[in-house]
Amino acid sequence: MKAVCWMGKESIEVHDVADPQIINPRDAIIKVTRTAICGSDLHLYGGLIPTMESGDILGHEFMGIVEEVGRGVKNLKRGDRVVIPFTIACGNCLFCKGDLWSLCDNTNPNAHIAETMYGYSGSALFGYSHIYGGYAGGQAQYVRVPFADVGPLKIENDLPDDKVLFLSDIFPTGYQGAVNANIKPGDTVSVWGCGPVGLFAIASAYMLGAGKVIAIDRFPERLALARKVGAITIDYSKDDVSIIEALRDLSGGVGPDSCIDCVGIEAHSHSAAGLYDKVKQTLKLETDRPFVLRQAIQAIRKGGTLSIPGVYGGVLDKVNFGAAFGKGIHMAMGQTHMHKLLKPLLAHVEAGDIDPSFLISHIVGIDQAPDMYAKWQKKEDGVTKIVIDPWQSTINPTTDGRIFPTTTRTLVP
Amino acid sequence: MITSILSREITPEPDTYPVPQSGSEYVALPNSKEDGVVTASAAQTIQGKPAELYELWSDVTLFPRWQEGVVSVSRTGPTTSHWIMGDPEDQDGKRVEFDSEITEDISGEKISWRSTGGDVHQSGTVTFVPTLANRGTLVTLTQAVKVPLGSLGNALAGIAKRSPKQIVIEDLRHFKQIVEAGEIPSVRGQSHGPRGVSGGVKEWMYGETNPTPPGTSEQE
Repeated sequence: MKAVCWMGKESIEVHDVADPQIINPRDAIIKVTRTAICGSDLHLYGGLIPTMESGDILGHEFMGIVEEVGRGVKNLKRGDRVVIPFTIACGNCLFCKGDLWSLCDNTNPNAHIAETMYGYSGSALFGYSHIYGGYAGGQAQYVRVPFADVGPLKIENDLPDDKVLFLSDIFPTGYQGAVNANIKPGDTVSVWGCGPVGLFAIASAYMLGAGKVIAIDRFPERLALARKVGAITIDYSKDDVSIIEALRDLSGGVGPDSCIDCVGIEAHSHSAAGLYDKVKQTLKLETDRPFVLRQAIQAIRKGGTLSIPGVYGGVLDKVNFGAAFGKGIHMAMGQTHMHKLLKPLLAHVEAGDIDPSFLISHIVGIDQAPDMYAKWQKKEDGVTKIVIDPWQSTINPTTDGRIFPTTTRTLVP
Repeated sequence: MITSILSREITPEPDTYPVPQSGSEYVALPNSKEDGVVTASAAQTIQGKPAELYELWSDVTLFPRWQEGVVSVSRTGPTTSHWIMGDPEDQDGKRVEFDSEITEDISGEKISWRSTGGDVHQSGTVTFVPTLANRGTLVTLTQAVKVPLGSLGNALAGIAKRSPKQIVIEDLRHFKQIVEAGEIPSVRGQSHGPRGVSGGVKEWMYGETNPTPPGTSEQE
């Protein structure tokens, strides 16, 4: 089969590899019909996540048709249409039973590596480095799905793939980002990053009762989408803009009740502090560029809640913990507890409350995937979300995959 | 901890009950390296009743399904068994053998054992204590192994590919996984692209070529 492989920093290649096989009784093999590149895949592309190896198959956002099931899988059969959550959970450990599915004890074959770095290991993820289990990902024609009796969500409606695909990660991840922000009716919420997770966080914040959502980014296409979702936008790249002042002013001098960092490890800033982090990260003196985290801690109101769906990997430098303490803020973070969110969020899609396909800018074939990683990293050609059909080599060749202008898209059909 | 190396008795002292608590005081679990004997401990909370976990651990013939590097275990008497260790998938690989006997057996609570002859001198104790608030069973495992010098020691190290402390951690983890998940998570033999030189070297570290115990899988 064809698969998108990580071959080194900023090196992605499509290779012919062996078809996946059932290894354990609770496995299923899925024929992938749609997959997507996630913003967090760009951290892998940029070489920022340790324990990636040449030949690793990428991809943790995918859906498809059940091809084969292991003898331990009774609830799925060949031909079922399923969306796969990007976190892998056993369903029976203390954490799964406590609805903390992304912290599952039992799915990471390399738990000892995570234990060395983090004390304890969370759940395994698809296609996201060996510290997270080393499972082959879904940017391929077929994928092995372990613990398939508890993860996959059956799609029993005729909604097109593009409307349900993002249940695999970014919709639930944006939603959990908003839930973790402890939003009360009428609250002012500030969201850093208007990529896919940020856009879903904005939409989810309103669904949870936010009065005003302020969104921060620098790319016009993203800011335009954020306004469509209902946010007040701040372009931080403008010379006269100070984020701290902007948020203070827009919240009546109080500061946002909740801040949501949808950026994480690779924050960008024009300022000297941003350059400082970039240099340190390049020299491997720190693993993460926590510029947004610093800014959010500074901007948030006293007693507010800081929610962090953006991915962090390691040791942070110069984070003002005194400010966090001095203002008595709450923090919530971590990978998404997918398994508890899939069904309720599918119900929102089925009811027509939200059309997650609004953020797709590019649909490509599998052979175009390597170019799309480079294009999205450089934020070229108005990329907001890239979807891959692994069974076609090339799609939309005349526009390099771009489907239509962002302005014609709407969140709510 | 070790009563006498010379007499090859490396069982933890009888009054050492491997739970990290004495009354209201923390007591470190045995972890030491003295005179060629490595003692290591690990603890896990496992979903299941003490009696169920005790029963699974008591069936020595099932050890090859969940413990790394066990080729086969056969019962030789009510409290004795014969063990063959090595890489189960490498038919021509090195094998070490020893006899083992159960020295203490408290149903649903505790099992202790020690080797009585053969290539390996080892002992161990596992305890099962119910946790508060129905959070499962606190399982604590302590194992002591006398690592022989020379080629046999090297053979043992080659079989394990892990430090003695890590072996104890992984043994208990695999026991937990087969109890809770019904299988042992594995990426052995999965599809991947070209590994190159460094990726190939690290494959065993990442479990892609390691002999993961089969769990309930039929692929052995």
